[in-house]
Amino acid sequence: MTLSPDIDIKATRLTKRVKLTEGSLTILNDLHLTIKRGESVAIVGASGSGKSTLLGILAGLDTASEGEVFLAGQPLHQLDEDARAGLRASHVGFVFQSFLLLPGLTALENITLPAELAGIRNAKDRGLELLAQVGLSERRDFYPTQLSGGEQQRVAIARAFITQPKILFADEPSANLDEKTGLLVEDLLFDLNQQQGTTLVLVTHKAELAERCQQQYLMHHGQLEQQLPSELQEQRHVG
Amino acid sequence: MWASIAWRLFWRELKRGELWVIAFALFLAVFSVVMLTGITESVRSALYQRSASFLAADLVLRSSRPFQPELMATADAVGLQQAQQMLFDSMLFSDSEMQLVTVKAVSSEFPLRGELVLRRSHQPGQGELASFSAGEIWLEPRLLSLLAVSPGDRLELGMASLQVAGVIEAEPDAPLNVFGGNPRVLMHLDDVAATEVVQPGSRIGYRYLFAGSTPQLAELRQQLDPQLSVHEQWQELDPETAIGAAIQRAESFLLLAGLLGIVLAASASAVAANRYRQRHAEAVAVIKALGATTTTARKIYCSHLLLVSVFSSVLAIIAGIVLVVFIQQGIQLWMDDYQPAFSSRPLWMGLLTAAICAGLFAARPVWQLAAVPAIAVLRQLPAWRFDVWHLATGALAVWLLMWLFSKEFMLSLILFAACVTFALVLMGLAALLVKVAKPMAAGQSSALKLALANLRRRLWQNSFQLLTFSMALFLTLLLYFLRVELLDQWQAQIPAGAPNQFLVNISAAERPGIEAFAAQHQLELDTFYPIVRGRLTATNEQQLRQRASKEEDTERVGVGRELNLTWTSELPANNSVLHGRWFSEQTLGEVSVESELAERLGILLGDQLEFSIGGRTVSATVSSIRLVDWNTLQPNFYMILSADLLADFPASYLSAFYLDAERAQVLNQLNREFPTVIVLNVDAIIQQVQDIIAQVTVALSSILLLVFAAAVLVLVAQVQATMEQREQELAILRTLGARYAFLRNAMLLEFAALGALAGILATVLAEAVLGVLQFRLFELPFQLHWNLWWIGPGFGVVVVTLLGWWQLRQLLAIQSSVLMRRAIYS
Ligand SMILES: Nc1ncnc2c1ncn2[C@@H]1O[C@H](COP(=O)(O)OP(=O)(O)OP(=O)(O)O)[C@@H](O)[C@H]1O
Ligand SMILES: [Mg+2]
Repeated sequence: MTLSPDIDIKATRLTKRVKLTEGSLTILNDLHLTIKRGESVAIVGASGSGKSTLLGILAGLDTASEGEVFLAGQPLHQLDEDARAGLRASHVGFVFQSFLLLPGLTALENITLPAELAGIRNAKDRGLELLAQVGLSERRDFYPTQLSGGEQQRVAIARAFITQPKILFADEPSANLDEKTGLLVEDLLFDLNQQQGTTLVLVTHKAELAERCQQQYLMHHGQLEQQLPSELQEQRHVG
Repeated sequence: MWASIAWRLFWRELKRGELWVIAFALFLAVFSVVMLTGITESVRSALYQRSASFLAADLVLRSSRPFQPELMATADAVGLQQAQQMLFDSMLFSDSEMQLVTVKAVSSEFPLRGELVLRRSHQPGQGELASFSAGEIWLEPRLLSLLAVSPGDRLELGMASLQVAGVIEAEPDAPLNVFGGNPRVLMHLDDVAATEVVQPGSRIGYRYLFAGSTPQLAELRQQLDPQLSVHEQWQELDPETAIGAAIQRAESFLLLAGLLGIVLAASASAVAANRYRQRHAEAVAVIKALGATTTTARKIYCSHLLLVSVFSSVLAIIAGIVLVVFIQQGIQLWMDDYQPAFSSRPLWMGLLTAAICAGLFAARPVWQLAAVPAIAVLRQLPAWRFDVWHLATGALAVWLLMWLFSKEFMLSLILFAACVTFALVLMGLAALLVKVAKPMAAGQSSALKLALANLRRRLWQNSFQLLTFSMALFLTLLLYFLRVELLDQWQAQIPAGAPNQFLVNISAAERPGIEAFAAQHQLELDTFYPIVRGRLTATNEQQLRQRASKEEDTERVGVGRELNLTWTSELPANNSVLHGRWFSEQTLGEVSVESELAERLGILLGDQLEFSIGGRTVSATVSSIRLVDWNTLQPNFYMILSADLLADFPASYLSAFYLDAERAQVLNQLNREFPTVIVLNVDAIIQQVQDIIAQVTVALSSILLLVFAAAVLVLVAQVQATMEQREQELAILRTLGARYAFLRNAMLLEFAALGALAGILATVLAEAVLGVLQFRLFELPFQLHWNLWWIGPGFGVVVVTLLGWWQLRQLLAIQSSVLMRRAIYS
């Protein structure tokens, strides 16, 4: 199968089943998704519908039970764990719901960590630059416990961009923050994303946030349905 | 790249206190090993050096055959120093008197160790110091009066005439023979031939004395062992002497304590490593999500373990060696001629312990840590399951440590099996108790209810916790009580003011005089024990000679040799009747036999023994077998006969008194007034035993401290392991409106209950093991320890509650909003 170079993510016939103590659970069921380079895509859906599961598979953190996934031109389903890790190091950035900074590293060190793991030298200057962009230059030597939740998430965002990744995955980036801080963090995320031309895959259940993306999908019965902004509004009222 | 991350993280983790329990546990394990190995070696070498001065050599080979030149040549080839000695009894004649003496003839090199002090005078402490040479004879002071000679006079020994040179003041290898024996003389080996006393069949002891380095001595033994005949026998440090026994017990104790301490410390490191894995699972998932491979993650976290291990072992080895040097200096204080011996054994034992502890206890959790999947950043992982392999590697490590440390395969296997059995029994009991606690909670205060509910909810975890708590408490209690017991026992053996001067060979006529002398000098005289010399000639009418001849010349006590027989109707102190019954007032014709002699000669209760006393034959029925504590250094007898048998024979008497060192001149006076009474001063030996006891006490106390520290460490590691879960529970309870005091009480009660349970289990175990150890290892009679039954549970409650409170006090103090947030994010 050939992949056109302007496609960053392509998933076909994706199925994820997990074994439970009694029987098995199908979380993703014959799911298809194509995301173009530079596109921003929101995935919404009820809690437990499988959004995070999909994100994990697309990012190569987990493997599908069936189907194929291409990420940045690489066939994830054919790569072993180490190769997927290498791919993540060079092409992928993450922002998580619970920030997930390493408690033993300072703000700046947390930001430059992915670069170090990818073997990029002299990441410090770029780290400082990003730190300034998220407005935390003053906090460069602070440890995560010394930062507020919003500050931690801003550090996490800076960390996501340090390797200049092609694709950014964000799972509920503002769900753990109050509304005002959440907005600030979302703004930062979209600003940096635009500035760097990164492909963005964002999982959220906030309609306002989903609307800021170019495409919206609804996760439902293990499959994705493309949504129009108006449908999202409805969702909001229902959810 | 990973190295710089690892290095940075390492220091931060160290600062954040994430690694200190592992570090401290490893430190303790390695430190204990280095210290124990070092101390045991130092004390042992001190003892050997001491005993070497008692032997006048490092190693002595006894023989009943004349000196074998090949044997000496072998020793020469090995490069050892040598001296020879002959021992025989002979008559010594002066112009007017004669006396049976024990002659010690030595070669010029004598003594190789220890000090021989000879004086050219008729009294110790006076006159010119001298060394001996051929043609001279040196006498024990009392011989001068017995033979009515002075220095310069001549004595006849066999066919030779020797000049009295002076007196023997100190002789390194003089036998400690409380019951007399013949007066001793010293002469040169070269003069023996001229006396012509050595005839075929004469009873002569030949001794080869060797001195040199330990490896040389070992080589000599290795080379000579195959050549030795039944006539030759190595002279060992006699474990039956008080010193030997004290040191052997101390060694057993140190060994045991050390092992237990190490096992505790190692378990603490395992528990801590498990917690480390739990706490770092998230961080590993993050770095893997960010692009690290499993190998990279493994390198980062395993390098932490490696660094911690190296860091703590180096520190522990240094600390241990410093302590050992310190102790050696201490030994030097009471033993001037002590030469500290440094061996590399403590060092590599420490390193090996570090490797075993780190490799088999701590490594597995850390190794597995890197296997946390990256997907854990998006989804909670299933709860940690009990790791059977970790348990297995841990158990293997425990056993390896025991083996390594005890150097005894079987002992380690038995000890290990015992530990495993204890663990299983405890685990079962703990689970049972926690279950039983449920109905008890009904109708109790709500804090107690919550406490019990908490205990039950973490049933599995708690029974494991209870197991480690019980083990820790058990070991501490066990050691504490063993220590008390050992010290008590040792102190009791040689109480302050115990007789240190023995008077032997007192004639009946001298008794009043001695009593008057004692009263005049305020000396407290022990009982006068009548002594009649006699030979045991037959048991059950079977001639002893026949039996003894099969093992010719092994110098058996009691067989054909003269024995000191006594009679008394009162069972002497330090004696207990093993079989049969003690004499009553009307007893006729009975004898009580010391148990070891009875065993050696196959004497049973009811046997008929025959003694030859002063040419007459006396027969007696064995009516009791006595256990005698020879360690007490008090008058003891192999055979005690009923009064009717001996009262008619002329007896000499034995008594004893205590004299403090400042009044030593009393002895000179005694010597002058009663020249034929032999005064034996056992002060030096008593002093030595007490010195060793003092040293060992310090060692025991420090080991106890060490084990306690290890136990506390296990407790801390255990409580810390449940910290996260408790934090979440607290958050929920606080949010639901529970008050601080309520939560604190519930938590304290939970720990108190755990502590009480653990304390009770530990007490039961400790009592059982104490009983077994007392009997098997230390050969003490069994006794119930009443103190233990309140100290054990009380100690458990106090220690566990305090520790729990100390560990969790910060948790309780945290505001509920903070708790809530932490609970959600973790
Ligand atoms: N490895 C697994 N084993 C068992 N069940 C799983 C596993 N992974 C996911 N699930 C289940 O699959 C469902 C989807 O999980 P997922 O985390 O993808 O949902 P989500 O859409 O991200 O929900 P939320 O909005 O609450 O984050 C859930 O019901 C979850 O319990
Ligand atoms: Mg989710």
